[in-house]
Amino acid sequence: MALPQSLRTSVTPLELELIASEQLVEIVPLITMEKTAFISGAYGPLRPPAKCRIPLWMATNLKLKKKCHIVPPEWLSVEFLQERLTRETSRPEFSKLPFRFAEIAKVILDVASDDVQNADKIKSLLKDLREARQAKSRDGLQKLDHSELSLPNLCSMEINEIRPFFIQSMGILTQLVREPSAE
Amino acid sequence: MASTSKAISNSAHQQGQTCIAFSRDGKIAYTGGLDTLVRIWHTDQGEDQEPEAAYEADEGITAVAAAEGCWLSGGHDSDVRKYIPGKAQFNGLVMSAAGASIRCLAIDPSGKRVAVASDELSVKIVDLDEITNVVVLEGGHRKRIRKTTWHPSGTILTTSSSDGTIVAWNISDTGAKVENVIDGVIPEVVDPESPEFMHDCSAVWHPSGQYFFAASRTHEIVAISRSTWTKTSSLSDPNTVGVTTALALSANGVYLASACNQEILIWSVQTKRVLWKHPGTPNAFTIQIAFSPTENLLAWTDTEGVLSRWRDAIPAESPDPVRQTAAGSAQGTTTKRKPTPPLWGEEPEADAEGGDPYGDDWIIDDLGDGMEDEPEGAKAIRSGDGFVKEMVSITKAQPAFQPGSTPMENKKRYLAYNMVGVIEVTDQDTHHIVNVEFHDRSTRKGYHFTDHFKYDLGSLGERGALFACPPELDHPAQVIYKPYGTWSTQGDWTYALPKGQRVLGIAAGGERPMRSLRDPSSSGGDIQGQGNIVIATSSGDLTFLSGSGMERIVLGVEGEYVTMAAAEEYVLVVHRPGATTIDGSQSLVATLISFEDFQVLQEKPLPIPKGHTLRWIGTTDEGAPAIYDSAGYIHLMIHHRRPNRAAWARLMDTNLLERKQGKDESYWPVGLSQDTFMCLILKGRQEYPGFPRPLIQELPVRLPFRNQDPVDSPIEERIARERIQINLARDALGDELTSSDIDKREVELDKQLIKLIQVACKTDKAPRVIELVKRLHFPNSIAAASQLAGFYRLIGLQEKIEAIKLWREQNATPAEEAREARQGFAYDDAPLARPKPFQNFNPPPKVDRPSLTRSAGIVEQTEFTASSVAIRAGRSLAPQASASRSMSPEGKRKRDDNDDDLSSNTFDVEVKRRAVGESNAVPSPKPSTCIAIQPGRAYISIIYCRQPIFSEDWARSQEKSFRKKTRAQQTYPKERELF
Repeated sequence: MALPQSLRTSVTPLELELIASEQLVEIVPLITMEKTAFISGAYGPLRPPAKCRIPLWMATNLKLKKKCHIVPPEWLSVEFLQERLTRETSRPEFSKLPFRFAEIAKVILDVASDDVQNADKIKSLLKDLREARQAKSRDGLQKLDHSELSLPNLCSMEINEIRPFFIQSMGILTQLVREPSAE
Repeated sequence: MASTSKAISNSAHQQGQTCIAFSRDGKIAYTGGLDTLVRIWHTDQGEDQEPEAAYEADEGITAVAAAEGCWLSGGHDSDVRKYIPGKAQFNGLVMSAAGASIRCLAIDPSGKRVAVASDELSVKIVDLDEITNVVVLEGGHRKRIRKTTWHPSGTILTTSSSDGTIVAWNISDTGAKVENVIDGVIPEVVDPESPEFMHDCSAVWHPSGQYFFAASRTHEIVAISRSTWTKTSSLSDPNTVGVTTALALSANGVYLASACNQEILIWSVQTKRVLWKHPGTPNAFTIQIAFSPTENLLAWTDTEGVLSRWRDAIPAESPDPVRQTAAGSAQGTTTKRKPTPPLWGEEPEADAEGGDPYGDDWIIDDLGDGMEDEPEGAKAIRSGDGFVKEMVSITKAQPAFQPGSTPMENKKRYLAYNMVGVIEVTDQDTHHIVNVEFHDRSTRKGYHFTDHFKYDLGSLGERGALFACPPELDHPAQVIYKPYGTWSTQGDWTYALPKGQRVLGIAAGGERPMRSLRDPSSSGGDIQGQGNIVIATSSGDLTFLSGSGMERIVLGVEGEYVTMAAAEEYVLVVHRPGATTIDGSQSLVATLISFEDFQVLQEKPLPIPKGHTLRWIGTTDEGAPAIYDSAGYIHLMIHHRRPNRAAWARLMDTNLLERKQGKDESYWPVGLSQDTFMCLILKGRQEYPGFPRPLIQELPVRLPFRNQDPVDSPIEERIARERIQINLARDALGDELTSSDIDKREVELDKQLIKLIQVACKTDKAPRVIELVKRLHFPNSIAAASQLAGFYRLIGLQEKIEAIKLWREQNATPAEEAREARQGFAYDDAPLARPKPFQNFNPPPKVDRPSLTRSAGIVEQTEFTASSVAIRAGRSLAPQASASRSMSPEGKRKRDDNDDDLSSNTFDVEVKRRAVGESNAVPSPKPSTCIAIQPGRAYISIIYCRQPIFSEDWARSQEKSFRKKTRAQQTYPKERELF
């Protein structure tokens, strides 16, 4: 949303991406590696052609070195997204999607678009989904009051997007509501 | 004269050439046009219908034809396409005329063959069921062929050429020949772009088969007799002058429709007069007319691309155009192959159900029920009395195959697809491109090369890739091995087979590399050798070669080779010892042959259900042989390292998979590891994986246990599966029988068992608890079980568990028991241990064979026996043998004890020992000793015979008693003193 700089004090999408990189994804390794301990945990062993679950940051790293294929998660497919998009456009509430779907989808499509079937179609579907959901979160403005706002199934990137503006608005609303009672 | 009913018109195609054909049941009309479409019209629907269209053609459609099981279209793009009847669903290419436009398609009356006329000078007759079955009619035409039609019997084909000739071909089973050339009837049209070229010049056969009609150059319609091939009559009307552009006969041959001067004329064949007329589309001429085969309906298409349908073209008061009537049969009185009337329209509903009222009419069923369809692969054998009909089905023998390979499809195929990697082949017509890729790129490096031999077999082993090509003109069948370890191609070698022999299957096995094969250092991967190669050839043998190309042995295959797969230390060969059985079994046998010394470790029939085939064989990651069959079962050979003790354990039933429920999919195995089944998932009826290479899917292995208890069953299944794997791992270990890995797994197993014990304690099932406790591996686990029983206040049970613990502590642990059992086996068959290079420095184990020394016949000699000369020569050895024996303390034998009383007398003992020691001293037929006794002297002569007269024991007892006697008398001279 086009907002002045002061209202945009929030986590940047890049930071969110970093957080999402801790999520596990499935890969098909192309190299052999023993079970290896990292700060976040021990991953492996990699035994091609068996699949393995490793964090996204590691998968990205291996993929960029051409040492693995990333298996896209089940929700990153044309059928799933299409179904969610129709649900999104036909129903008032947000449809259920993985909490960090936007970040993970972006990372996977950026580094491993050759492992994803119909990457272009998925990109456009994701864009449509984002627009549909953004429209809904804007509608949420009307329901905004001073104390609470319930938008279930909102995802991290979207929360991050509306957070600064909504919080500030809610602050102002709180003041407006409190003043009459103070009198 | 003009008919009262009106035709309905639909604009169907763009301007230009069009064509029409009715389906054999008359419900559907197919029209094709220059707009490359074939539209499918339902004849029962009116003007407002929206027809389905087939879009496959690239250029204009010039011909459509319909049979019972399909319909065909052909056009300028030179392809003849086949479709599902009544639908625009493409069903395959029938033929392709190499750049020449298709001009006409004619399906023969039986609906089995199609005659294709094209701009080529030949007509091709293609079998619709087997499109490679093509008869080419050549030499009859000098110009392009415009039309072709079938005689109703299907034995004569008439082709109309652009040079104005009609050629009648006699089509028989053996071939086709020109029966007659009719010149000067139809007009000569050379230019294919001229409007005249579109005129119908076909020879339209009357259903009686006696004559055909054709539009002549003189603007008449002439009838030409089948017997004389000359014009018999002509149809002409003084009121219509002009060229006839289209012709058609009604189904029963009573009426003839023709198009002339933008009018449709219906003639009576009998009176040769025009009966009715219908105006056609203005400014267009009609190109093709068709009578519905089942209804009173006439349809035509014209150059405007309009389809017109004239329902009830024949008024009700006139004879029906479909039904066989007196008028019709008057025309066909001489017919031999008269159409069967009821099929032609008495009961239209029955026709519709019968589907083909037309096609079968021309088959004369002179065999009674001999034309009944027989199921495929079955043969009806009738016994002599004619009443009993026995069905004998012959099971088709499964051909030899290479596991993990697919047939060539779209110029691509897989030669091998296993857990090591993939060999992909792309056909480039003159050569192949072979691409070898590995799953693990850190161990081996993928490569690709151009292959001029067109390898059709491939095998990816742990140590190298093996290819084989079939023999061709200039080279014999050969096998090439490309080890991975080396940098260049210097490690490659070729093994050529003698002329006339082919390679049926190949397998490359070898130890799994511990280090990367890409490591060039001296301790790199290839120091462990280059594996083992097995080649199955058409001369019925298995040739074993070493990884460097040294021939090791050639083993004969006891039957027909089917497939094989190589593992680290053995090769699994599947062959068919005899024939398939009548009831559908493939009767395959798997043989495990070790690479070390070509011992057959196991020979077991495969557990494939009847009517199913073997799909895949391979080895698990742990090295156990596994098979997958078309019934969807995976079987694992357990105890395969114990010679002749193996069994096929059903590891998985893919039909029970959760993901399979409600889906039409099948699995194409790639590999099997401990808990996962690696496969490619094929959707629908797909039989082989395609390109690009699909991802390997991992399915969990589940034993097909039937108990459905939600808590216990999964744990029980897991324990049973783990037990199988631990036993396999233990068999591979050699003598020590336990390793830290196995211990760890057994601890895990105990944890699972404790869970089950807890559930059993909770539900108070004491016998189950005791059984489970006995299965525990470690004393600590038993202690834990005892605590559990105490927790649930089962005091009696706890005591019993304590007793088991005590008993276990005093007796052998399960591992020790297993070791003892193993040592028991070891006497007759040592289990195949995993090879451990450079580690076994022990001397070969001592073989103790107390039970194997058997006593031989006693040979006693006197100076009178003739054969004593040979004995005497060997006698000097005897005392030495005796001495060496008495020195070894264990050498004491039972018989010595028995003969203790004779120990002072060396006579008997020594002779016997010599007989054992020098087997050649005794001639091969067993001597039976006959003792003749004379007072004071003993003569023992040896009688050789096949059947002993007396048993040896008897003889011995006789001898013994005799000796006792003689010793007592002290008259027997000591043997040594005799010499």
